[in-house]
Amino acid sequence: MKMEDMPLSGPDNTKLEALVNDIYSELVEDACLGLCFEVHRAVKQGYFFLDETDQESMKEFEIVDQPGVDIFGQVYNQWKNKECECPNCKRLIAASRFAPHLEKCLGMGRNSSRIANRRLASNNNMSKSESDQEDNDDLNDNDWSYGAEKRAKKRKSDKSQTSPRRSKTLKHKNGELGSGISADPYKYNYNAGINYEMLGPDEVQSFLTTQCGVISEHTKKMCTRSQRCPQHTDEQRMAVRVFLLGPSAPVLPEADSVAVPESFDIPDGQALMSRLQWEDSPEISPSDSASSKASTNHSDSRRPKKKKPRPSLGLNSGGGIGSLSGGGGGGSSQSNISLSTKKKKPKLTAPSISSIYDDLN
Amino acid sequence: MNKESRLKATINQRLTELGERERLKELLRAKLTECGWKDQMKAHCKEVIREKGLEHVTVEDLVVEITPKGRALVPDSVKKELLQRIRAFLAQHAA
Repeated sequence: MKMEDMPLSGPDNTKLEALVNDIYSELVEDACLGLCFEVHRAVKQGYFFLDETDQESMKEFEIVDQPGVDIFGQVYNQWKNKECECPNCKRLIAASRFAPHLEKCLGMGRNSSRIANRRLASNNNMSKSESDQEDNDDLNDNDWSYGAEKRAKKRKSDKSQTSPRRSKTLKHKNGELGSGISADPYKYNYNAGINYEMLGPDEVQSFLTTQCGVISEHTKKMCTRSQRCPQHTDEQRMAVRVFLLGPSAPVLPEADSVAVPESFDIPDGQALMSRLQWEDSPEISPSDSASSKASTNHSDSRRPKKKKPRPSLGLNSGGGIGSLSGGGGGGSSQSNISLSTKKKKPKLTAPSISSIYDDLN
Repeated sequence: MNKESRLKATINQRLTELGERERLKELLRAKLTECGWKDQMKAHCKEVIREKGLEHVTVEDLVVEITPKGRALVPDSVKKELLQRIRAFLAQHAA
């Protein structure tokens, strides 16, 4: 049904307002009527005065409106200002601080053991000698005292070298635990570095087989990242190994130029793996054994980085190839493998290698 | 006059048809209970009943006593809000 348009000019506006008020009045009357009916029914049914039957309880639960007291008449912070005597230390403690105080005083809460351990750890660092390290075993459970835990582990290897008193500079705060121990010989992993002076030769060797090991110039620490860590090049890793283990150390998977007949008996994969552990990743071995081309690529990409010259190979390239291919006696793939298994020196120049393969192919 | 009454009738019809009237009623009742108006009125009722006697009170008595007081005791905020809503409805559906 279409409504008549009402222009909202002055007088009409008042009419509209009047209309609004009318509607409003109707609504309010409706509400009042509703209430009346409700009350009347309650009266006639007899439940209107039901809540007023018990005068006594009415007085008891009357609404309280006094200051300092809540609606039920209860005082809010009645016990706040009282003091309690601690049964342990006999001191007077404020009520709200009583429970935390008891926790610390009796040594039974969660935090109290932590704090006690922390105190013990700091005392150990400052004053105890190495023989007392046994006590620090308890601290191994505490993830907080990092230095104590690592100290216990490294104890035996460092006994001959430095005394733990070097760590006197250790400051006992959470955040500084790592930074304060740069001189600490026991520092193992925290700064992602190991001091190579602290490791025995066997340890160095085992360490270098699995980790990068490149020594940082300013901290004298070895990198503990993997052999493929992006921060250091293979060249650096090589240099470190030579420096630490001596020039004769077998560190690379590439074979020597010297032909060794018995190397043929070694299964390809195993030999490769054992060599490869010195230098680099598992990435090399499967591809080496897989195809000649792949191994060529890998060798090519890696070998140019090595600085060490391979004079023997360079000079004897013809002779070496001859001996190798003669010794290899097989297809190109086999000679590749024999090439890689026999070689013990780390360096091979790229051009000589590619020339070898060209000849073989 | 005819126009006005016609307009009024139309609007009332619209209100009822669209369910707005019911909504406004419920809104008003809720607001009045919330602000304590209902308890006030009930207390007043008790007085009236005690006056008239429990057995003989009629609906008419109550209505006569309660309605004027009830109208007067509605808080301003509630009144304003309701007027606002009615005006909005009219603006939307009338002009």
